[in-house]
Amino acid sequence: MAEAMPAKSLLDPRSRGWVLAAAGACLLPLLLQLPPRLDVGIATAAVAIGGLSWRRPLPGWLRLLLGAALVGAVLATSGFAFGRDTGCALLAAMLAIKPAETFSLRDGRSLLGFALFAPFATFLLDQGPLSLVLGLVATTLALAALLRLSELESGDGRHPLPAWRRYASVWRLIAIGLPLALAAFWLFPRIATPLWGVPERAMARPGLSDRMSPGAWIDLLNDDSTALRVQFFGATPPTSQMYWRGPVLWNFDGRTWTQSDWMRGLPPARVRSRPIAWDYELEVEPTDRRQLVSLDLPTAAPDGIQLSLDYGLYAPKPLSALTRWRMQSAPPRSFEPELKHTLRQLALQLPSGFNPRTLALAQQWRREAGNDDTAIAQRALRMIRSDFAYTLATPLLGRNSVDEFLFDYRAGYCEHFSSAFVVLMRAAGIPARVVTGYVGGYRNPIGGYWQVRRSDAHAWAEVWLAGRGWVRFDPTAAVAPERIYDTLGDRASAGDGLFGALPGLVPMRNAGDWLRRGWNDLVLGFDATRQQRLLQSLGVPEISSGRLVALFILTASLALLWMIWLTARAEREHDVLLRAWHRLGVRYARIGLGRDPHEPAGPWAARVLAARPQSSALTALSARFAEWRYAHHDGGRPPRDLVRDLQSHRP
Amino acid sequence: MSATSAMSPRRLRTRFESWARPRQPETLPVRIDRRRVYVLPTRFGLFFALLLAAMGLGALNYNNNPALLLVLLLVGAANASLLVAHLQLTGLQIGAIGAEPVPAGSVMSLRVHARAAPGRNRRGLRVRCGDADAVLSLEEGTGQAVLALPTLQRGWLELSRLRISTTRPLGLAVAWAYVWPDAPLLVYPAPEAHGPPLPQGIGDASVARLHPAGDDVHHLRAYRRGDPRRAIAWKPSARRDSLLVREYEQPLGADVLLDWHQLPGIGHEARIRRLARWVDEAERQSRRYRLELPGQPPLGPASGAQHRHACLRALALLPRLEQVDG
Repeated sequence: MAEAMPAKSLLDPRSRGWVLAAAGACLLPLLLQLPPRLDVGIATAAVAIGGLSWRRPLPGWLRLLLGAALVGAVLATSGFAFGRDTGCALLAAMLAIKPAETFSLRDGRSLLGFALFAPFATFLLDQGPLSLVLGLVATTLALAALLRLSELESGDGRHPLPAWRRYASVWRLIAIGLPLALAAFWLFPRIATPLWGVPERAMARPGLSDRMSPGAWIDLLNDDSTALRVQFFGATPPTSQMYWRGPVLWNFDGRTWTQSDWMRGLPPARVRSRPIAWDYELEVEPTDRRQLVSLDLPTAAPDGIQLSLDYGLYAPKPLSALTRWRMQSAPPRSFEPELKHTLRQLALQLPSGFNPRTLALAQQWRREAGNDDTAIAQRALRMIRSDFAYTLATPLLGRNSVDEFLFDYRAGYCEHFSSAFVVLMRAAGIPARVVTGYVGGYRNPIGGYWQVRRSDAHAWAEVWLAGRGWVRFDPTAAVAPERIYDTLGDRASAGDGLFGALPGLVPMRNAGDWLRRGWNDLVLGFDATRQQRLLQSLGVPEISSGRLVALFILTASLALLWMIWLTARAEREHDVLLRAWHRLGVRYARIGLGRDPHEPAGPWAARVLAARPQSSALTALSARFAEWRYAHHDGGRPPRDLVRDLQSHRP
Repeated sequence: MSATSAMSPRRLRTRFESWARPRQPETLPVRIDRRRVYVLPTRFGLFFALLLAAMGLGALNYNNNPALLLVLLLVGAANASLLVAHLQLTGLQIGAIGAEPVPAGSVMSLRVHARAAPGRNRRGLRVRCGDADAVLSLEEGTGQAVLALPTLQRGWLELSRLRISTTRPLGLAVAWAYVWPDAPLLVYPAPEAHGPPLPQGIGDASVARLHPAGDDVHHLRAYRRGDPRRAIAWKPSARRDSLLVREYEQPLGADVLLDWHQLPGIGHEARIRRLARWVDEAERQSRRYRLELPGQPPLGPASGAQHRHACLRALALLPRLEQVDG
């Protein structure tokens, strides 16, 4: 096989280096999106295979073995569930193995072709700025490697271009293609309803979910990326009232709180709102889950969103891309004042045989307080405020997690506090449930919008009190309000996060997030609906798809014409005078008196004069032309009037 | 069935080639304008297009804008690469082609000279003629490619069209143009390998040639670089205190007559090959020779490169009589 291959189609080491570097650059952003361990594994495999097969191909059985091992590792990590991320991880694994058989020009090209799938796959998983920048860099490198390969193919491989020239060429190509690309991006008709669904992630990313086990949110609470951006129209609530309600958890098995799925289908409970109403637009970063959050209780669900009994908002599809929702919310005056018996049972249920000390304490409080539910809840808050501390460094809890927390450690974070509080309430016979979501927010001074980070994730309690219905109690806020209703100043002094410790970077962060929001607005959030309203500012309310196609064809043809103009322009004579002279010759050629290539100006003019004695202007023109062209003069631009006369002369 | 399907691409190709410009030989110089540059995707280009189509469909379906933007940037760059490939050839001027005549059967080096306005990078253009190909790289506006053409028979070598092509910059598309130079190339007859020596000269032995391997010592002269050591006359050198060299003289017959009619009994082509060898041999011995061919005025007597070319050209252009020759 190898002997039959002509020598010229083999990659030389430098070209091979270019190809592998480009493939590595393509792989990098994808690896960053894969679960840890898996990405390290694939990266190690890629480097090892690249190194091992540098001099000679790996034997076939070894390649097969490596491939099977990587695919097996990917499938095992994802628990043999096939999702979008599993597919992407498989692609990464394939790319890691491919260098083992990349030796000819053709192999190199097919590797680069497949490698370009990697940034594409990255964007399916994440659309953040880092992925975008890395994807762009990878694309540039891949195209530069293609450039290098075709240099090799043309037999000019011994005089390679310097690397910067190659990047410059790639960017020139992209720049020439840019008008066409942008026309297609804005105007090519978008698909309003997908032909096939977005496969979900098989491996969930950390975030708010339908379950919560105390101690499990450490990753989430340290994740400083933005979860929501909120633009308020009109009144803005104080940060201490910014409770972004998410999943409501009813069921407790001693360790984990979970949602009741059947409750989604029930109609929303009866709510009497206070007269305050907040009008806002949520920009939700992709979560890959169906549930949305809302500020306190929404007065109505947005279009296409289902509102459940406990005021959870459910989208019809997992939110795998950036979405925007316009909503109104109001704090409740009363929230489900009549609790149905089954729901009451559910809100009182505790697993039997867990947390005996907590149960005993609750029963003791009940005996002391009589029928006053509010007093019990206040007493619990008082206890927590006086004896408990907030910390993210918590020990692993054992079987009686609430007992250990309430009586032994007495320190923890929102998960522990809310869980213990609800268990205590239920044990005292008060219906209670855990609510998760985000709390607080940070106002971006540049954009005038509010940012809610994933680290603002929070869990609190709702307690059902007669007459008022579900009332929010936040035991964590009783301990460490500054840790919850955060401002960036608190963060900076507490040294949270990577950037929080450096106050000088705060303006940069603000500007960065503002830019990101602009990018989201302009590019990421662009879809079929926005496309229809594209020309709204020009007074066209809605573009029909037929018009859109016409507009696209028009702009695309303009872009193509521009390209053709570039081709034609490259050929044309640079000297203005000569160009005018040649055009003159073309005009005479139409009447059969064209200048022959060997014919000087004077004899040609004489010949034309002989054929058409009535026109003598050409003789004078050609004399002037010849004088300027061949007489001695010190460079400079040709006289403008001569050029103009040549241009305007007609036979 | 399979025969026709195997034929059809070739038929398509011949049809294209009969349609493609230029359709007849043209005088050089030829400037390649945009109307005669053809661009088609390569196999890799088609694969790339398929890849982009798949990515584009996915991006549109998921309404994933960064992915769509990536695909569109790649589409734009690929499209621009067609243009750049086109631009590599347009404006190129094939100034001249030339080749030294060589005996049939040996390889003729065909030089193709190209010019273009400097400023655009035109490197690694591929020039192909039949099965021979070479790389043409323009440095500061000029460049030359040397094609090794096989020669089969004496006479005029009719060039097929030169195909100038490039797959740069990305290898996605091949741009090519044809140039059909109206400049036939001469191929000398192949001299026979072995045969009788030159016929003796005719007329007076008026020319004697100095030859270091001759018999009669003619005179002594000063040593010149390159003289064989055994030609040095050591004793006279010792006397004169400088190196002297003996020169010998060999009497040679005067003009050699290479007459077609004096070679009966061998075939037509064999005669031509023998005469070709004799021309070369006479030239090597610096003898004047006259070539007489049927139906032509005699050439010479003379010697020198020009005379040799005239003789070999006349021999090369003798009509071919393959059937008679058998």
